[in-house]
Amino acid sequence: MRPHPDTLDPTISSRTTARPPRRRTAVHSRGFRSRLGLVAALTLLPLTAACAGSATTPGGADAASGDKPVAGGTLTLAVPYGPTCLDPHQGQADALFSRAALDSLVWQDDSGTVQPWLAKSWKISEDQKTYTFTLRTGVTFSDGTAFDAAAVKANLDHVVAPATKSAGAAQLIENYRSARVVDPQTVEVTLAAPASSFLTGLASPSLGIESPATLAGDPKALCSKIVGTGPFTSAEGFTPQQGITYQRRADYAWAPEGAANRGPAHLDRLTVRIVPDSSSRQGALTSGQADAAAAIAPVNVAKLKADPKFTVQSAVSPGVPWSLNPNTEKGPLADVRLRRALRNGIDWHLIVQKLYFGVFPAATGPLSPSTPQYAAGVADRYRYDAAAAGKLLDEAGWTARDGEGYRTRDGKRLSLDFLYIGEYFSQYTALATQIQAAAKDLGIEIRNQNLDTGSYVKRVLAGDYDLLNSSANNASPDALRLVFGSAHIPTAKIDNNAARYRDDQVDAQLAEALATTDVQRQKTLYAAVQQKVTEDAAILPVFSNAYVLGASARVRGVVFEQQSFPNFADAWLAR
Amino acid sequence: MIGGALRRLGSAVLVLWGAVTVAFLALHLTSGDPVDLLTGLRGTSDGLREEITREYGLDRPLPVQYLTFLGHVLRGDLGDSYVLHLPVRTAIGQQLGPTLQLLGATVLVTVALAVPAALLTAGRPRWVRTPVALLEGLGVAVPAFWLGTLLLALFSFRLRWFPALGAPGLDGLVLPALALAAGPAAVITRVLRRGLERTLDEPFVTTARARGVGEAAVRLRHALRHGLLPVTTLVGWLTGSLIGGAVVIESVFSRQGLGTLAVTAVRNKDLPLVIGIVLVAGLVYTVVNTAVDLSYRLVDPRLRTSES
Repeated sequence: MRPHPDTLDPTISSRTTARPPRRRTAVHSRGFRSRLGLVAALTLLPLTAACAGSATTPGGADAASGDKPVAGGTLTLAVPYGPTCLDPHQGQADALFSRAALDSLVWQDDSGTVQPWLAKSWKISEDQKTYTFTLRTGVTFSDGTAFDAAAVKANLDHVVAPATKSAGAAQLIENYRSARVVDPQTVEVTLAAPASSFLTGLASPSLGIESPATLAGDPKALCSKIVGTGPFTSAEGFTPQQGITYQRRADYAWAPEGAANRGPAHLDRLTVRIVPDSSSRQGALTSGQADAAAAIAPVNVAKLKADPKFTVQSAVSPGVPWSLNPNTEKGPLADVRLRRALRNGIDWHLIVQKLYFGVFPAATGPLSPSTPQYAAGVADRYRYDAAAAGKLLDEAGWTARDGEGYRTRDGKRLSLDFLYIGEYFSQYTALATQIQAAAKDLGIEIRNQNLDTGSYVKRVLAGDYDLLNSSANNASPDALRLVFGSAHIPTAKIDNNAARYRDDQVDAQLAEALATTDVQRQKTLYAAVQQKVTEDAAILPVFSNAYVLGASARVRGVVFEQQSFPNFADAWLAR
Repeated sequence: MIGGALRRLGSAVLVLWGAVTVAFLALHLTSGDPVDLLTGLRGTSDGLREEITREYGLDRPLPVQYLTFLGHVLRGDLGDSYVLHLPVRTAIGQQLGPTLQLLGATVLVTVALAVPAALLTAGRPRWVRTPVALLEGLGVAVPAFWLGTLLLALFSFRLRWFPALGAPGLDGLVLPALALAAGPAAVITRVLRRGLERTLDEPFVTTARARGVGEAAVRLRHALRHGLLPVTTLVGWLTGSLIGGAVVIESVFSRQGLGTLAVTAVRNKDLPLVIGIVLVAGLVYTVVNTAVDLSYRLVDPRLRTSES
């Protein structure tokens, strides 16, 4: 729904053209997924698994194209998991579940530009610390109450209140200090420090605006029922392990400008069912028991695409790809030559192609190509070159070989500890095994260590590891700050800088990029950072996740948001 | 009689107390501070860490935590789940119904498959027994999740007789109950047949036959009762093992249930929720086994006379 203006007329687009999925509401998800990244995005795992390649939009039918939208019908969507709490302010936001009911103050379009939504316009003060929003009039929550300045203040205060125990939303607006109601249509927000990410944070589904009446009540009640101004409502609410059913809101009329449909949703109902088992999801889709299924296994994508009764849409997750993070602080990988050898001595592209059939694209840098300000220039440094890698290892003194063919130095084997938590890693064991085998060819032993959560946390905080794994689905290049900023080295708590990378210049550049709103300047700064961390081989990016949505050919008008999850507000079912 | 009931109640309370204590200790003694696990993994702020520590009393000494916890349990207050932001009672309540339904359906299917199979094959010639014995072997050997996947592919995805997406109604129960019941049904058929065969050799059966009682009546009225005694015990055991053992079936059939809830709760070290589930499982187990004990009296009149 709400496609980019250049695709306003759905009748023109061809069903066979391969073009990138249209996105909406790019979201700076500095929250949950990225923070969690280190722990391999624990709770999000199933979808992460689903994810595949954006640069490679499947050439199959574009579900958004077709004839004129038809009103009515129920769309059933099978997804692998649900949120722990429906309220995105509290829980680990599962945007798909809450977005249907919640609108945001602003909307981020394809190009990353922030556009009006529930806020009609805004002014930013000279010192970039005060934002004055003028709100749209005539907007109501589905409980009948009016949307006004007091509602905005109540929502922002709710997000940051300690009692909310926000798992991600609060980090999106970490510089928020206070809000003041000027009049019912005007609200003035004060920040503690300038933050170029504030508006994109507000655009996130995690900052969806909820009815103040519900926020005042028991926070636990919000975990199953939320009330917003969105195009759908759910009377029954969310049931864990089952899902949620949304009904269309007939009086909805405030979709963002540029949306294909600014009025009520086409669908009567949207049913989201949790179907954890991948083959059950696939079967439900192919037998017609579900109209769409998320997280189609890469191995099944080609077959589904070949069937004219179905379409496959996918969007590569923006942010930092699924990567191995070398410990740059201690151990053998503190030597940059070893990190470079590992990066160029393993044919990552071949491994990724073998396992994910091109559905998840191999990584080409510290950011996924679908991230704003991705610097394509570094891609060359990630090329496979076994000979050069071998030379680097020799230079570093790892010249001798032991009985098993591993390199040694002073009689010590070159061996690396790779830590992970087994229960969250199970879908990557094949990948880990492939990497282990490729490293052995290089003369490096990778010891895959399957730990329980407690031991994992202990060893990570102590820096007692050589390799970890992380990924950060994040629609902003500010993801770089979370993964390479020295403030994010995991010492007191789990954090994203698993490489324990520390570089004063990079820190300064990342801070400046966050504080400036000058896009050209940001671009220069972020390019420099990508260059530098590539130079230092501070990350071994492997592949980019993608959200893979299989759907019946009847399903039209599904649009991917910038965070690479599908939005069904403009979806419809062809007869 | 009253003494017996009190004894039974006392032992039930002991079982439950033991279960929650073991669960409490196991979760506290395994590596990892719950606060680390709750906040650390989510990378939350220090303020949040303190908030959670204070709210759940995780900063107090372990014995104090244990006593406080026991006091809450006694008052029926199971607390809130750390991760789900829900009262434990609600979290379990949402999943208990589907679990009990599946449990009941599985026991029914098990008995409905095993009893006729044993009755029809006990003491029969090889050509009758071999095919059934083959099925029994398969039933024991094939894992429930695989059978579930097969049943789903055939009867839901291909033939479309039954729904796949964990439908709440009766038709949504058929396939998962079949998948879960196959193994136990095979075991119980075997046990019951052995019991029947032993009984059919007893002198009283010969007497009955001599009196001209038909074969069907001999099996149903005389032999079955004797054969059922060990089966009753097995059904009690089966119910207990199914409460937590249904996880894979819940996943394959996208059903709600305590199994999945329990697995995620343990994974997240969600102490209040784990303990709540242990209590409920213990309670169900106790109730079922008490019922099994009582049913011995129905099946075996000798027990009735000896105690009265």
